[in-house]
Amino acid sequence: MNFPLILKDELNGFYKSWVMIFLWVGLPVLAIFIHISVPNQAGVDSLLFLTALILTSIASLLSSAMLAANIINEKDTHVYNLFLIRPIKRWQLIISKFLSVYICVSIALIISILIGITIDYIETPYLFEFILESVKSPLIMIFAIMLISSAFGTLIGVLSPSIVVGVIIVIFIGQYVSYIPTALSFLLNIGDPLVMVLVTSFITAAVLLGIAILVFNRKQF
Amino acid sequence: MNENIDIVRFQNISKRYGQLLALNNVSFSIKKGEIFGYVGPNGAGKTTTIKIMVGLLRGSGGSLFINGYKMPEQKELAHRFIGYTPQQIGFHKWKNIKQMLTTFGILSGFDKNLIDSRIDELLTIFNLINFKNMKISKLSGGMIQKLGVIQALLHKPSLLILDEPLSGLDPESRFQTKKLLKELSENGTTIFFSSHILSDVQDLATKICILDWGRILKIGSLDELKNEFTQENQIEVNLSKRSEKFGEISKIDGILRIIEKSPEKIILNIEKAKNSDEIINNIITTLLENDCKIRSISPVSPSIDEIYQFYLRRGGGFQ
Repeated sequence: MNFPLILKDELNGFYKSWVMIFLWVGLPVLAIFIHISVPNQAGVDSLLFLTALILTSIASLLSSAMLAANIINEKDTHVYNLFLIRPIKRWQLIISKFLSVYICVSIALIISILIGITIDYIETPYLFEFILESVKSPLIMIFAIMLISSAFGTLIGVLSPSIVVGVIIVIFIGQYVSYIPTALSFLLNIGDPLVMVLVTSFITAAVLLGIAILVFNRKQF
Repeated sequence: MNENIDIVRFQNISKRYGQLLALNNVSFSIKKGEIFGYVGPNGAGKTTTIKIMVGLLRGSGGSLFINGYKMPEQKELAHRFIGYTPQQIGFHKWKNIKQMLTTFGILSGFDKNLIDSRIDELLTIFNLINFKNMKISKLSGGMIQKLGVIQALLHKPSLLILDEPLSGLDPESRFQTKKLLKELSENGTTIFFSSHILSDVQDLATKICILDWGRILKIGSLDELKNEFTQENQIEVNLSKRSEKFGEISKIDGILRIIEKSPEKIILNIEKAKNSDEIINNIITTLLENDCKIRSISPVSPSIDEIYQFYLRRGGGFQ
């Protein structure tokens, strides 16, 4: 019964953090900017995909860095000690941290994409049905990339001894890890690529989180 | 619960950090309602012991039982009974005091409906009630220290484990905290606290454990520690008038040595085996018969600092 409380606590902390305020405001502004400034020559679906790709790149990088830095900081400042001496499971702390960032950043991304769709609708109302059909693939990509980058940030947060090392690893390796399942699914061409993206992303994120929980469970504070 | 039950049984536990042996086969037990003072110099192994007790660290060898629950295997059950104040306290800085305490109270299993009144009660005791809605990031170090103690007390634990709980507190808060700890102990709460402030240990502890280099040098009540420390009892005599025949007191049976601090202030070492009351009576009689006037006469008790240093030296702590 403690998990909802811990998750609510983490969500309360994250949604009003400085990084999230930047994302709440910055991502929609960027979406508007892309839709206004980029000529829609390639078609509405391409523009939507481009918007999603740019926004997801920024958001996934920030969310994984935020998660890694936050976990390392809480280890350094002994925040976990007071949780770990209470009758709760250690995985609850890790999963609630992961979920709170994943949920907050995904909502910020969805809002931005919806703003993009609204702009497209205002500009080309006759293509609205086509726009709605096109939104499926960028949304799946967002969820898949965010899932892996957040899981990777969590793992690095648990493993890394310092914030600097953690953030450097996330910046230089995290991006590539996040895109591996997406790239693989399109390259291997087995079944529906979008379904494959979802499946491989879930598996990769589950493995990363599993390792993070295993390490955190064995960690001495 | 039977008062003779061991609330804590810490048996033959060691802990190594690389090449450093931080705890060397340490054993002790704590009974219900005891206030167990754990003292030792920096790096003696106090915090390591405490972290093993609460399940944050794993010791090697031996066994540990808290309230009958084996640690760390049954730590989730044992944690229901434990209140812990770490030496370095970390809170979510974005929360305010009330939010933070509510979370910890509920996580510890305290009744949600009663948590608000419990928080107010403790904040009032520690003079923090006016800061209830203040963010943690705005609080001073002393306030954080108080909150560290408050969060440990929230769920009314039967075992309090406090790592340097009084360091960093102002005199009034120290007094209030000590008073509260004594009251809790009288009501059956078992308290384990580490400290290097010996006066606090003397004021609070019913049992004292001296630790150095990861080894226990001595465990016992203050009186037991004193008894071993003092080979001879001492009596201090203050005179308002000293005559030439003062030396007659050396003839009193049981007096071993006379140490003159000043002409009016004299320390008499007496045999431990002898009855000190009888010797004091003989001293008074002899001094008065020999034309001396007494201002005061009283037995001298060794200070806790002297006792502590005696055990450290004996244990090889001071090189």
